Amino acid sequence: MSVTYLEAIREAQTKLLRDDDRVFIYGQDIAGKFGGAFKATKGLAEQFPGRVLNTPISEDAMVGTAIGAAMEGMRPIVEMQFADFSSIALNQILNNAGTQYWRTNTSCSITVRLPSGGTKGSGPFHSQSMEGIYSHYPGLVVVTPATVEDAYTMLIDAVAIDDPVIYCEHKYLYYHLKAEALPTEKLPIGKARVVRPGRDLSIVTNSAMVHEALAVAQQFSAEGIEIEVVDLRSIKPLDTETVLASVARTGKLLCVGEAFPWGGVTAEVIARVTTEGFHLLDAAPARINAKDTPIPYHPNLWTEHRPNAKTIAAKARQVLAE
Amino acid sequence: MPQLGESMAEATIVAIKVQPGEKVSADQEIIEVETDKAVMGVTTPCAGEIAKIDAEVKGTYAVGAILGYVEASDADAARFQKRAPQPPKGDVAKEIPGREEESAKAVPTQNGSGSHFQVDETALPSVATGSHFQVDQSGVLPVPAGTKGAGYLSPRVRARMAELQLTQADLAGIAGTGNAGRVTIKDLETFLGGIEGQTAEKPSAIRTGVADAMRRSWTRPLATVGVSVCLDPVLQDRAKRDPKPGPALYALRALAVALAEQPNAAARLIGGRAIRSESIDVGVAVEAQDGIMVPVVRDADKTSLADLTTRYAELVDLARRRRLTTEQTAGGIASVSNFGTFGLDWGTPIPLPDQTLLLGLGAGKKAPVWSEEKQQFLPATQAELTLSFDHRSLDGGGAGRLLQRIVELLADPSKL
Repeated sequence: MSVTYLEAIREAQTKLLRDDDRVFIYGQDIAGKFGGAFKATKGLAEQFPGRVLNTPISEDAMVGTAIGAAMEGMRPIVEMQFADFSSIALNQILNNAGTQYWRTNTSCSITVRLPSGGTKGSGPFHSQSMEGIYSHYPGLVVVTPATVEDAYTMLIDAVAIDDPVIYCEHKYLYYHLKAEALPTEKLPIGKARVVRPGRDLSIVTNSAMVHEALAVAQQFSAEGIEIEVVDLRSIKPLDTETVLASVARTGKLLCVGEAFPWGGVTAEVIARVTTEGFHLLDAAPARINAKDTPIPYHPNLWTEHRPNAKTIAAKARQVLAE
Repeated sequence: MPQLGESMAEATIVAIKVQPGEKVSADQEIIEVETDKAVMGVTTPCAGEIAKIDAEVKGTYAVGAILGYVEASDADAARFQKRAPQPPKGDVAKEIPGREEESAKAVPTQNGSGSHFQVDETALPSVATGSHFQVDQSGVLPVPAGTKGAGYLSPRVRARMAELQLTQADLAGIAGTGNAGRVTIKDLETFLGGIEGQTAEKPSAIRTGVADAMRRSWTRPLATVGVSVCLDPVLQDRAKRDPKPGPALYALRALAVALAEQPNAAARLIGGRAIRSESIDVGVAVEAQDGIMVPVVRDADKTSLADLTTRYAELVDLARRRRLTTEQTAGGIASVSNFGTFGLDWGTPIPLPDQTLLLGLGAGKKAPVWSEEKQQFLPATQAELTLSFDHRSLDGGGAGRLLQRIVELLADPSKL
């Protein structure tokens, strides 16, 4: 038996619906035969009648409704069709959900699932990575699972958290990533993971870029250069300790992110390492992101727009040569 | 302010020889300036009338600064091809080479309104392609292209050095493998790992102290000059005295007397100031176990050799037994090293880090010396006298005059 990243998300939701009466799923076209744009909820409406609900095409209303339900003690999961459209719900997420606990001392346990990141031919409105924006605001927890195992356990943990959680699932990994079985162990949200140990350079990254980084590490290993790859997993809270420990081992840092280059996760990681771990650095830290333009439709342009194994390798060589 | 010499960066105005309204011819010397090398004249770029003088006497101006204006006819101005200076470049940041990460070249597109920006992040840094030095002419600070080069120590390497109390001198044995031969943290750790297996013992406190003093002193431009001295008068004088002073004490006393006459020779240059001591206290290097002690003889210029002898002997004895107090080693302005006791003829000893001068005395040896009077070689006891000095404070001429004076004094030692 094997489980894809997408199936792990569906399995996690099945378990959540089964184990906890307070959980329901709210999204566009997720019930009925369609089962959601990516089929993440396929069959769940039949299995759990009245708990997998179709919504109007209004992200604003979807999140607003979920916040109200959470106030009444429910634990809703909101499925956005694409992360890009969650911007329509920014007011509800940032101003209402994010601040609720601090304003009212009541929890706002909603989970918003964002199908994130690029796939070939998806263009500017169906490819974006929003984790940097949401992490900027207080009151939110932001996670970006990069493995089948994390997709499963982090979604279950997200629903259990009393704060609003932005769960960024990567669309490219939906079908590309497979595991033998669902995990029996988990690493909690807030912890990063060293997915490949190394001694020459730390690549700190998240989501689909973890796999690009691993490909680069594999390639360099043949030359006797050992790259350590750190999967952040959770963007907020950010596990600075694990990152610093990695830089302490290697002395060199390259941050890779699929999001746009201005500010964001890679900039935050570098800011933390240079302020808290300047003495650990044997070279100027580097970062590589998508280009600072809207995401192109054309598959060839898209491949060049985001960091890929080739461009990451070139940047890694630059840092290694310092 | 014209560039009056290759290494000239700025100059100070000594005199202004013209007034506004005065007629001047081309290449007329109108302002006298002093650089670190010489006094030179600034001449007019072309004929005309002095319109305005902005410069002030005693003011220091960088090359390229405006000192004043000459009003010239168009014909004159054209003939001498002088134009008004270009205003400083506005967008200096764009001129900085090699800012790759943030260097996304913003290029206005040619289409439509032209208000969109295309960003090309793939542009590679344009640095380190040539071996020549580029000097920014716009008057702003040059921006280094990156953390490269053999002399570069990364934050990590610096932190590790600080932790282990290493200095750059300790890293001399490491051939760096980093960019342009810099020492990377791995080079440092490999080096440390390599010496780990070797026999190591903790150096004595005195050894550590000498090492630190020599390293600090070596940061200065040190030079040594030398001259032969005939020791026979000293040896004859010594035979008559009781107690008997050693040759080093004669040298010390002669140095003190010479310094009383030429006190600037021992001045220490700190920042823009030449620091001179009130009293002429001279140290003497004494070999003790595992290092050197330098007791200081106070007011050596004012005390006769006879009176110095006993005090000197006591200090040397205390030094050999390493029983000197801090007061007895502090405050010297120059020192004497009698390296002749090791059978050495010549040396370039290093002055103490807080002193400018060190007088060295080589071993006395019988040698044939030409006598003009008798027109033949005569046997004499010759020794080499060296003077090591901080070349920032003193030049070969000053060092030579001091040394010649010491030779003179040693020729007539009964007066010391």
